[in-house]
Amino acid sequence: MSHAAPASATAPAALPAVQWDIVRALIVKDWQLFEKPLAAYVLAGIVALGLIGLARPWSFYAGALLLIILLVAVACMSISNALLTERKEQTLAFVMSLPVSPLDFTLAKLGGNAFTFLVPFLVLLAGTVGVTLTTPVPDGFVVFATLVYGHVLLAFSLSLAVAMSVRSEGWNVFVMIATQVLVNPFLMLLGQIASIRDVGRGEAIVWSGEALLILGLQVGLSALAIAFTGWWHGRKAAFE
Amino acid sequence: MSSVSTGKLSKDDLSKSTLSKNSLSKSSASTSVASTSAISMSGTRAADAAPDCAVAERLHAMDHLRALAMLAGVLFHAALAHSVLMQPFWPTATGAASWTVDALVWLSHLVRMPLFFLVAGFFAAMLLQRRGMGGLMRQRLRRVLLPLLVAWPLVTLASIAAFDWALAHVQASNGVLTALRAAQAGAGADAPPLPLSTGHLWFLYYLLLFAVLLWIGRVLEAGRWLQAVFARGPWVVALGLPLLLAGPFALTSAPHPAPESLLPALWAIGLYGSFFALGVGLYGRLDWLAPLQRAWWPGVIVVLALQAVFVWRLQAGPVERLWPHAAWPTALLEAAIAAWGTLLCLLAGLRWLARPSAALRYLAGSAYTVYLLHLPLLFALQFALMDTGLSGATFFALSVAGTLAGCLLVYELAVRRTALRRWVG
Repeated sequence: MSHAAPASATAPAALPAVQWDIVRALIVKDWQLFEKPLAAYVLAGIVALGLIGLARPWSFYAGALLLIILLVAVACMSISNALLTERKEQTLAFVMSLPVSPLDFTLAKLGGNAFTFLVPFLVLLAGTVGVTLTTPVPDGFVVFATLVYGHVLLAFSLSLAVAMSVRSEGWNVFVMIATQVLVNPFLMLLGQIASIRDVGRGEAIVWSGEALLILGLQVGLSALAIAFTGWWHGRKAAFE
Repeated sequence: MSSVSTGKLSKDDLSKSTLSKNSLSKSSASTSVASTSAISMSGTRAADAAPDCAVAERLHAMDHLRALAMLAGVLFHAALAHSVLMQPFWPTATGAASWTVDALVWLSHLVRMPLFFLVAGFFAAMLLQRRGMGGLMRQRLRRVLLPLLVAWPLVTLASIAAFDWALAHVQASNGVLTALRAAQAGAGADAPPLPLSTGHLWFLYYLLLFAVLLWIGRVLEAGRWLQAVFARGPWVVALGLPLLLAGPFALTSAPHPAPESLLPALWAIGLYGSFFALGVGLYGRLDWLAPLQRAWWPGVIVVLALQAVFVWRLQAGPVERLWPHAAWPTALLEAAIAAWGTLLCLLAGLRWLARPSAALRYLAGSAYTVYLLHLPLLFALQFALMDTGLSGATFFALSVAGTLAGCLLVYELAVRRTALRRWVG
């Protein structure tokens, strides 16, 4: 296992070899620190799906609202636990004393956050699609719901990229809140696009050109943000 | 099903269970050191036998109870053809129905699945202690999720084939067949498609869900609450359990349906989850139940009396049973029958099923396969018998015997001595 290079070193031309066992250990460490809140979120997710399953208007609204709250909370909590709190508690200084390269650390942070966010994200997405297809809710609503989930994914990816690069807690909190709150104008935007709005009221699941473009942008920008962050930090020879 | 998992219980495993702490607690400071069979469930001193043997007897009892609970499901589904309440809804309803059948059927309905989930919780706690959470989850994926994913489409296709055959060949009619024939003729062309359903395999879905809830409970250290509940003693738990269950029963209709939707049903989580948690808490300390043993016979009388009242309420009017939610008195009645009936079955099992038995052992081994496969075969046989004019008792006996014979044949030929045993044996 290679040790971290001196802080004064400059970026090398090629990426160093990844120590996958170290990356795995760091992800497991983040998972263990995040396990308790994640368990609470999963429990709340089950309750939310159960509320929706009661098939009454108030319970459907309460369950759907709880699902959105959970999604946003998981996204913010994951980043906050794994990056911001770690900085505040000087854990990074301790990690730097270990045989961990910046690339290992970057991959662990990206992988750990993706894991802790994507597991509940995908479960909730599958639950929402399942609810839509198995209840009187029009099946076409799947398109609308998927785009809302896409927004949360993009907001998470941008927040993670910023948290990896910017040390200021204030800026990080601002980006997290701003990107997630933008879901409101995004919902209004979707409501203005006839091909998405009208499909959401019918039984046919039709992916119009506009819907596919928005989803493509959401997924593409998310992947780009994560990939660029990984490349930018992974190429460094030393921790900053 | 955990239980599903318990194919073999080695002596080593059994001795471990005598030392078990509450498996839900992550803390090593857990105070619930299991009693090591100081007093056996039959009330005799266990000092005569080695502790391991005493515990082994109890695990035999749990394994046998699980098998009987699953096999009771075959009888339950077969008997629904003769239930007065189910005549409009059950596809093989014969028209020859009796309230006596309803009394027996709904009693078993209130007890067998709660008992099954209690035993499942018990064995889940055992697996958790032996293999850890990762091992438990891997076991669930192999023994529950995989069989669910494989059996679900197969059972659905087999059921569709049975229904298609019935629509083409069965002359007799009932509410379901009439509706299906109308739909086939185009009268129901505008009806929305039926939602996806797990059918009679819903219990596998809930076993997976309860495995997740077990992880949540362990991470959030819910074991402390379970400890606090158990610390109040068996009488408090037995008398308080109906109050806990009344809420879930009030959230659904009476009699309660099978929670077949892909969405988790809160009432089912509350009802079956409570029994699952009780089973988890009982692991390693079955002797905790010993004080209840002396109330067994009075308990049986009370439960039968409550069941008579419940059936009387069902007879009283259609509103009670068709309304989406049971009235609170009915819910409390159901809760008391389910709680006390299940505990009585558990106590009976610990008293009378604790010894090794070749027949029960075989049933325990085959129960999972039988339960997975039984419903399409039962439908097919009952459809085939509908035009024969047989008496209700003969119809029931033949359909049950044929279903069990067919399922056991599959078990013998395809599971018992093959690699499939690892998944569903």
